[in-house]
Amino acid sequence: MLARAIEETGLPTVAIALVKEHALRVKPPRALWAPFPFGFALGKPDDAAFQHKVIAAALGLLPEQAVPALAEFPEDADAPPLLLQASAAQAGAANREGDPADEVTALRGYYERWVEEHQGRTMVGLSGAPQRRFRGLVRWMQAFAAGDDAPYPDAPEGMAPARFLRLACDDLKAFFLEARLSRLPGESENDRQRWFWSETAMGSLIASAAARLVEQGDDRTAQGVAR
Amino acid sequence: MPRLEDLPDAARQGMLNFPAFDHDDAPFAPFTKPLAEAKTALVTTAGLHLRGDAPFSSGDESYRVIPSAARAADIIQSHMSIGFDRTGIMRDVNVTFPIDRLRELVERGDAGSLTERFYSFMGAQRSPRRIESETGPEVGRLLLEEGADAALLTPT
Repeated sequence: MLARAIEETGLPTVAIALVKEHALRVKPPRALWAPFPFGFALGKPDDAAFQHKVIAAALGLLPEQAVPALAEFPEDADAPPLLLQASAAQAGAANREGDPADEVTALRGYYERWVEEHQGRTMVGLSGAPQRRFRGLVRWMQAFAAGDDAPYPDAPEGMAPARFLRLACDDLKAFFLEARLSRLPGESENDRQRWFWSETAMGSLIASAAARLVEQGDDRTAQGVAR
Repeated sequence: MPRLEDLPDAARQGMLNFPAFDHDDAPFAPFTKPLAEAKTALVTTAGLHLRGDAPFSSGDESYRVIPSAARAADIIQSHMSIGFDRTGIMRDVNVTFPIDRLRELVERGDAGSLTERFYSFMGAQRSPRRIESETGPEVGRLLLEEGADAALLTPT
């Protein structure tokens, strides 16, 4: 759809498409159907040679004049299995005893190693709360889950508390998952999700914060937070 | 992907029922230069943006600029969903937004040059009317003004 809008201004486009059925309906002018999972449009992370093959196949469609042109990338990547829904991952015994702030402290070394190994790359950073202050962020979330509506003191000015909570949860999830990836790089994604939602106190805290949002009638944010 | 026949029923139905705009044909603009002489742009719908830039919200139809010279480490993602595994992008942003790969193509001489600005939109839009009529065409025009000859689009 975006490809069509851009092409209509006079700029030729080629799109990588993951869902063939959608590409057949929407009809972008030129598309390479690549049978990879969502989140893996170029097939394989940390595999520049494979990514170059996908890009070459896509850019190779640019001279195509008979549009819509839909080509298929001939190779499968080793697809990770489908993600568990958070609700399924939460089915195990939730950890309501531990302290998420202590988990943050225990994982910090792994997280910082992850960032160092990735030349500073991290998905933490949406809420603006620095990673070094996540213990305080956890305390604020615990208060929120327990019924206290005081805003986080360093939240960006003018941001609604529910919106800040959503971004803070996304940051904390990224922190935990990146630390876990650093510690157990070979673990399956489903096992990693199961660990987060059913074995960490942070997973329980996020579920409690989501429950409070539901009480407040904000089902939409609750749904975004708890997955 | 996902090959739909490999998905569980509920997920397959969700994908089949996801609103998509049906069209009978496609617009066409000719690509007139060899790639090695062309100026190429990258546009994504993965909800990526620079660290410190305003995060996207769900259904957000605005766009963010990501300079083509940006470091991969400065790019983060506000789009997240149970529908996809974020760890690929955590490991390597190029798996969705191949900014380093495009720079390598230019260094090798396989691509001519890159636009100074790349663009990012939010993904999983259920009714992206404003992207279709306003923000999408705006990005097309801005890229043409920069002298772009082609755009590569990548999804979430």
